[in-house]
Amino acid sequence: MAEMWISMGPQHPMTHGLWTLKVKVDGETVVDTEPDLGYIHRGVEKICEARDFTQITTYCDRLCYASANTWSHAYIYAAEDLLEVEVPERAEYIRMVAIELQRIASHLMWLGAYCPDVGNLTGMVWCLREREMMMDLLQELGGSRMHYNFPRVGGVKRDLPIGFALRCRAKLKLFLDRIQEYEAILDESTIFLVRTQGVGYAKAEEMINHGVSGPNVRAAGHNYDVRWAHPYSVYDELDWEPSVERPSIKGSDCYDRYRVRVEEMRQSALMILDGLDKMPGGADTYHEPGDPAILAKAPARAAEGQTGYHHFEDSRGESMFYLAGGGEGRGKHPYRVSIRSPMFITIPYAAKCMIGYKIADIPAIMGSFDPCIGETDR
Amino acid sequence: MAKEVSAKQALSAAKEIVKDVSDFGDAVNAEVRHHTGGRRKNAYVYIEVVASEWRELALWLKNSKGVDYCSMVTGIHWPENADAAWQVVVHLLRTGVTNPQIVKKRVHETKVDIAALSGNSVPMEFEISMTVPDTREPSVPSVADIWVGADWNEKETWDLVGSDFAGHVGMRRVLLPHDSPTGYHPLQKQHKLRYHDFNEMYDDPQGFGRKPEDSGRVK
Amino acid sequence: MTDDILDMRGWVRAAMDFVSENTIGMSRHWEYTDSVAWFLTEFIMCVMVFGGIMTTLLVLLWMERKLLGRFMDRRGARTSLRSLWVGENGVTAGEWWNQLPFGPGVPGGMVNKLLNEFAGNDHELEAVSRVQNRSYHGVWWLLPGFFQNLADGMKFLTKEHMVPEKADRFVFEIAPFLIIATTVMCFTFIPLGPHFYSNNSEMSILFLMAVFSVAPLGVFFAGWSSNNKYTLLGGIRSAAQLTAYEIPLLVIVLSVVVLSGSFNVIEVIEFQADSGVWNIFLLPMGSVLFLVVMVAEVERIPFDMPEAEAELVEGWWTEYGGMRWGLMFASEYLRTYAACLLFAHFFLGGWEAPFEDTLPLIGLVPHILWVFLKAWFMFIFFVWFRAALHRVRTDQILEFGWRWLLPLSLVNLVMATVLRLWVYDGVNEEWPILVPILITSISLALFILLSIDEDPEALEAQTRPFSVQTVDVASPGQHRK
Repeated sequence: MAEMWISMGPQHPMTHGLWTLKVKVDGETVVDTEPDLGYIHRGVEKICEARDFTQITTYCDRLCYASANTWSHAYIYAAEDLLEVEVPERAEYIRMVAIELQRIASHLMWLGAYCPDVGNLTGMVWCLREREMMMDLLQELGGSRMHYNFPRVGGVKRDLPIGFALRCRAKLKLFLDRIQEYEAILDESTIFLVRTQGVGYAKAEEMINHGVSGPNVRAAGHNYDVRWAHPYSVYDELDWEPSVERPSIKGSDCYDRYRVRVEEMRQSALMILDGLDKMPGGADTYHEPGDPAILAKAPARAAEGQTGYHHFEDSRGESMFYLAGGGEGRGKHPYRVSIRSPMFITIPYAAKCMIGYKIADIPAIMGSFDPCIGETDR
Repeated sequence: MAKEVSAKQALSAAKEIVKDVSDFGDAVNAEVRHHTGGRRKNAYVYIEVVASEWRELALWLKNSKGVDYCSMVTGIHWPENADAAWQVVVHLLRTGVTNPQIVKKRVHETKVDIAALSGNSVPMEFEISMTVPDTREPSVPSVADIWVGADWNEKETWDLVGSDFAGHVGMRRVLLPHDSPTGYHPLQKQHKLRYHDFNEMYDDPQGFGRKPEDSGRVK
Repeated sequence: MTDDILDMRGWVRAAMDFVSENTIGMSRHWEYTDSVAWFLTEFIMCVMVFGGIMTTLLVLLWMERKLLGRFMDRRGARTSLRSLWVGENGVTAGEWWNQLPFGPGVPGGMVNKLLNEFAGNDHELEAVSRVQNRSYHGVWWLLPGFFQNLADGMKFLTKEHMVPEKADRFVFEIAPFLIIATTVMCFTFIPLGPHFYSNNSEMSILFLMAVFSVAPLGVFFAGWSSNNKYTLLGGIRSAAQLTAYEIPLLVIVLSVVVLSGSFNVIEVIEFQADSGVWNIFLLPMGSVLFLVVMVAEVERIPFDMPEAEAELVEGWWTEYGGMRWGLMFASEYLRTYAACLLFAHFFLGGWEAPFEDTLPLIGLVPHILWVFLKAWFMFIFFVWFRAALHRVRTDQILEFGWRWLLPLSLVNLVMATVLRLWVYDGVNEEWPILVPILITSISLALFILLSIDEDPEALEAQTRPFSVQTVDVASPGQHRK
């Protein structure tokens, strides 16, 4: 059969968003790929140049619809670096709870999207139902279902609501049980294993050189996590291990990338349970918004020539904000906001990973890297 | 066992790099800096480099210092500063990632003894800054062949900011439409938003009452 | 011929004889009386069978919707039944027993309530019962959704018919009719009862298989003529897959034919009734193979490569819309229905009621009901597969078909031949009762042995036991010079 180009996207079930993957196929085999991004470029970086440091948080929430909280926190840490703010420890704990809840929700969204990629709708329904629990918890924290606008420069918007710890523990314990159900329908299914094992090999060193990070690298057997390598927040006080897979000699395949995320959900849930126990002041006490225990005073303007940045472990890899402060002359706005999106770097690599596999493997491989186009196009 | 890289480890690793960088002479200016926010004030390496020396420094960092990961390449436009109108900032990470040890066709061990990390295996952050004087066609050397991760970052920087990267193969628009006009790079400062230059935006939050200064000239 | 209180054919024939005698018989064309009565009978039977199938097809669509909803719920099918007596948050399903006429449910409800209070499992913690997030719709969970299918049909009717500009218009228009017409023709030879069929030819199974395998041709036409890369790929996949699964299907059906000694569906059923044993107990492997092959033939998950929506959008029917799409959708379900009915006829004894000899009153149930019940029961498996399994890749489908299904079906054929030639008791025309018991228990034991999972440690030691990929590591960046 002659080779032909297929344009998958911008509206295609495989894409998980709005982008185009041009695939050159020879019969059923993929010969060449070419990603084309930018369909939903909103110019967030430019808009942020005209917003003050608190307003930017809302834009960061909207970078990724599946993982809003981690993105706004990634920004907040960079802004605190720029504005030289010390954060109260209780606020750090609350942030950790919010970030890890969001990480679970994001991975559930990923797993929920991955199951239809390999042809099963039941997994999607199950995952989205459990994601609903996480969304409820995050809603209690941030007040809305999707874009929470939760962190503030110097702390968090609100303390944990009364009774939050009880509900959170109950739901997380339930969730830990239900992870086993995903494993029952995925790991126990020979067809799922046949579809994901031995497909989409990627090696750790290659991925690092390509700028891929996060769960995708940990799936390839290398323990690299920003949370311990470039530490921030309170992760050193919690009981956790980065979830790392042990792949085969050829590198990590789709199955490893699935496993590492399931393990990471488990780790995050345990981390939250541990964090609720260790929270300074106790998880059941409640401070009014603006209380110094949860929100430190922060300057509104950055010093002249000051810059700040922060590497952050997002659900999809290492994300980063680079802020250049404007100084007195530019008011409360940063001079330049630059966003490092993990998926922007990963998608070209994932597209290269597909070469040599079948058309039916395209969604399986692409989905296993967890693409999110909102953050990619910014 | 330590749960994370300690401040001492990071500081000594940073100091070691800064000491070694001094071999480059005047073209490279390195110092140890500390983050100023958060619970820990992590040390990181800040390097100012003359653009022409950048590739040599990058190769040195990669080969003898084990810097294996390009996190971000970004550009800033400073039109008011003619000597350094274009700044390119590169963020690198040293992850210490190698292909993990393999025993009997499986990866052997995934745990890292963090307290025992030393030398080139300590994770480290790098911020590298280089400036280009005011010109219509700013350009710095590309490092996309050293770190493939810089490839799309450089594309994006050219696309949005307009600093070109000499030696980059296949430069093209990635976020803007492919048929955007030549020379249009929206993050350059001559493209203004409505809010720009208002110290207090609250008196007219949406900017309805005012027009941008280039209204009437630019459609 | 077994007796059926619903002697539909006889009644229709009698009525038509009466009509014919009193009209044609009175006229000068009186010699055609018999022919006209015959023609009218056949015509009415065709309409009745077709109408019966099309009406009960709604049950299939409704079953799929309801069952999938239950499977996808965490508790699966249990939810709806359990909530009848356990209820949610202490509210016991609207206490439906109190609403029964003449109040027989009231004492039962009181007992139930008492039991729930002491032994119920609703959780004290409000959070837990809230997150269980169950959607109970009461006993009426049955009915809503049934008429959704009619609404869908109305919607399809109102949609515009669009042909892509560069499509091969003639073939594009012909293909759906090819698919639908041949699918409907299948039901000519599928009887719904001993006296409820539209045609009964000597070689009905042969004709059935021939007609059943015409539709793939239409699928390929549809995929090719749409002038779309997705439909083309879907059509080619469909052709490859159906060719690979057509052969095992024929061999399995052949084994049923050999065992029953007839190419006629009704005679196959009669044989099962007379010999006292359903074929499923004599050919357990054959029945499983038949089910698997039929799932592939009707292109449902896990074998729905031709319309794999993850990569091919909608596969070969991407470009169709409106009623043509609706009819193709219906024909897919009609094919599924045909598969279920054939399974019931070939392996489950067709309209034979279970224990018909020991329970005399059971013969009073109209036989058509048994046929439908068995077919619907088989459809549960189709839905179950869809809810529980994933989609297999093209090369894996073909490999499975050629390397496993074909040899196994040949083994099955040999088994059927041996059974018929040397085990079947030609004098009493019955199976020795030990034979089905032995075969079934041995097969069950083998199935259980083989389906026990492998040792996880052994799995861990190997490299990727399920990796069947033959290509080497993809080497990113190497393809572009």
